[in-house]
Amino acid sequence: MPGIRPYSIRQKLTWMNMLVSGAALLLACMALAGYELADFRQTLERRLSTQAQIVGTSSVTALLFNDPAAARNTLSALRAAPNVMSAAIYTAAGVVFAVYSRDGRGGGVPGQAVTPAGTEEHRFTSDQLILTRAIGFQGKNIGTVRIQSDLHEFNDRLLRYTGIVGMVLAASLLAAFLLSSVFQKATARPIMQLAETARVVSREKKYSVRAPVTGNADEIAVLITAFNEMLEQIQERDTALQAAHNELEASVERRTAQLEAVNRELESFTYSVAHDLRAPLRHIQGFAEALREDCANTLDPTALGYVSRVVDSTRRMDQLINDLLGLAQVGRQEMHFRPIELKNLVEDVAREVAEECPGRNIQWHIGELPVVDGDPGLIQLALYNLLSNAVKYTSPRDPAIIDVGTKRDDGERVIFVRDNGVGFNMKYAHKLFGVFERLHRREDFEGTGVGLATVQRIIHKHSGRIWAEAEIDRGATFLFTLEPRA
Amino acid sequence: MARLPLAAHNGPSACALAVALVISLALFAAGLSAQTAKPTEYEVEAEYLSNFGRFVEWPATPAGESFHVCVLGQDPFGAMLDAALKGQSIGDAPMAAKRVATPEEAAGCRILFISASKSAQLQAILTALAPMNLLTVSDVSDFTKRGGMIQFLPEGDRVRFEINLSAAQKAGLTLSSELLRVATTVRREP
Repeated sequence: MPGIRPYSIRQKLTWMNMLVSGAALLLACMALAGYELADFRQTLERRLSTQAQIVGTSSVTALLFNDPAAARNTLSALRAAPNVMSAAIYTAAGVVFAVYSRDGRGGGVPGQAVTPAGTEEHRFTSDQLILTRAIGFQGKNIGTVRIQSDLHEFNDRLLRYTGIVGMVLAASLLAAFLLSSVFQKATARPIMQLAETARVVSREKKYSVRAPVTGNADEIAVLITAFNEMLEQIQERDTALQAAHNELEASVERRTAQLEAVNRELESFTYSVAHDLRAPLRHIQGFAEALREDCANTLDPTALGYVSRVVDSTRRMDQLINDLLGLAQVGRQEMHFRPIELKNLVEDVAREVAEECPGRNIQWHIGELPVVDGDPGLIQLALYNLLSNAVKYTSPRDPAIIDVGTKRDDGERVIFVRDNGVGFNMKYAHKLFGVFERLHRREDFEGTGVGLATVQRIIHKHSGRIWAEAEIDRGATFLFTLEPRA
Repeated sequence: MARLPLAAHNGPSACALAVALVISLALFAAGLSAQTAKPTEYEVEAEYLSNFGRFVEWPATPAGESFHVCVLGQDPFGAMLDAALKGQSIGDAPMAAKRVATPEEAAGCRILFISASKSAQLQAILTALAPMNLLTVSDVSDFTKRGGMIQFLPEGDRVRFEINLSAAQKAGLTLSSELLRVATTVRREP
C-alpha cells in the first residue's frame, strides 16, 4: 500500500484488525445510537403532545368562562414535568390567557399565538422543543396551548450515548488488539520467521538454515515448505559445486606436481648434458688450437683453414653451452627479492654492453624508471640480454638509438626497450621467445637463440609479461611489465 | 409602506427604523380597535348561557324537540342570545332561545335566565320552578343565596359566576366539575 510506511507485517496486521473492527463497531454504534435518539425524539414529541392535550382539555371551561386563574392552575400541574420550561394558553383571538414558566418569570413566552383549529405543530430548535396545539370544544377553536420543553433529557441521552459508544469502542479496540496479538502467532509469526531466515540466508550465505515449519496447511505453510525445499536444493548444488571444485583443485595440484617434476628432470638433464658436453668440447678446442699453432708449419693452408673452422665452431658451441647452462640456471635458481633501482641498473648494464663493442656509435636515451621488487642478478641478466640484443640488431645503423623508459598501457606500467635496428616481421613474433628460434641468419647477426628465451623466463618468474612490436627495417620495441614494489 | 422610499436613501438602518415605526403604529391601532370591539357584559353572558348546557348532565331530550334557553322577564340580550345559540346543539337537540313571561311558560325550557326585572318575585318564581328540572341563571344579587343555581357576577371587564350546587342537585341536575372549577364560589348547603 502506498500510504503505509514500511511497518512490519505484524504492525500492519494489527492496524488492519483495529481499523476494521473499529470502523465496523463505530458504524454499528452510531446506527444504534442514531436510531435510539430518533426514537427518543419521537417519544419526547408524543409526551409533549399528550401534555398539551391534557392541558388543553382541562382549560376548556377556563377559556369558555374567561377564568385565567383556573387556566394558570391547570398549567401549574406541568411543574411535575421537569423538562417543560414554559407553557401558555392563548384565546381564540391569539391573546395570552395564562402563562406558566418554570423559573416563575414567564420568560420566552410570545405574546401572541394562533393555531388553526384541530392542528398541532412542533418545532425543534437547538435546545428546545416547542409544541403548539389548538384547543377545540364542540368543533370550535377556543384557544391555543403552547408548551416549550428543553432538550436536557435529549442532550443528556446524547452525551450518555456518546460516552457509551466511546467506552465500547475503546474496550473493543483493546480486545481487538489483544486478540490480534494472539492470532498473529498463527499468521504473522511464521512470516516474520520466514523473513528472518531469508535475511540470514542472503546476508551470511548460509544455506543450512531452515525456516521453522508451522503445523498449519495454509499458504504460509506452503511458502515455508517451498522456501525450505529451495534452500535444500541450493545446499545440495553448493555441496556438489564445492566437491567438483575440490576435485579440480586436487587434480590441478597433482598435474602441477607432475609437470614440475618433469620440468626439473628436464632441466637437470639439460644441465648435465651441457655440463658433460663441455669436457670433450674443451679437448676438441684445445687440440684444434694446438694443431693450428704448433703445427702451422707442417700443415698446408687448406688444412689450416679447416682447423680454424673447427676452432670457430668449438668456440660457438662453448658459447651455446654456456647460454644453455645460464637458461637452466634461471629455472633452478632460488629467487631472492630485493628492491631494485631500475634506472641505475639499466645505466650500468648499458655501459657494460657498450664497452663490449667499441667503435660503435650508440645513443642511449634512458628515461625515468621505477624501483621494482625482484632478484637483482636475474633482472640484470634480462636487461643485459635485451640491451645487447638491441645493440646487436642496430649494428647497420650509425648512430644506433636505443630508448629505455616506461609508459602507461591500459593503466598498467610497461617498461620498454626501443631500438632503431633492422626489426622483424610481426608474422613471426610468436617465435621470438622460443629457445634456438632465430629470425635472422647467423651470417648477418651472431647469436645462439637462447637470450630472449632467458629474458622471457626471468620476466615470467617475476609474474610479469613480455612481448615485442616491430616492423622490418624500422626497429623493434620490447615491452615488459614488472610487479611494482609492494 | 408607500412611505418607505422616503427613507431609502438614508441607508438600511434608517430604513429598518422606519419599518419598525410603521409596524408599531399599526399594532397600536389594532390594539385600540380590539379594545373598542370588546364584548359587552350581556354579550358575554349570552355566550355563557350557550355554554352552560355543555357542563350539565341532562335527562334525555325527546326527539324532535329543541333545547330551549329561555329568558323570563325583560330580555336584556335581544338578538345577542339568538346569535350565541345559532347552530349549536346539545346531543341531537338544536339550541334555541325562547322568551317566557311566567314560570309556567318555562315548563319546556332547560336553562332559564331570570331577568333583573323579576327580582321582586324571585322567591315565588323559584318556588314555582322547583318541580321542573331546569337550570336557573340570573344576575340578580344574592340569587344563589336565595335558591338560584348560577349567578353572574360582573367583575371589572370580566363576568364571573357563582354556583349553588345543592339547588342544582335538588332539581336533579349534575354539574360538571369543570364548571365548578371556574366558579368563584360553589355553595353546597341551601
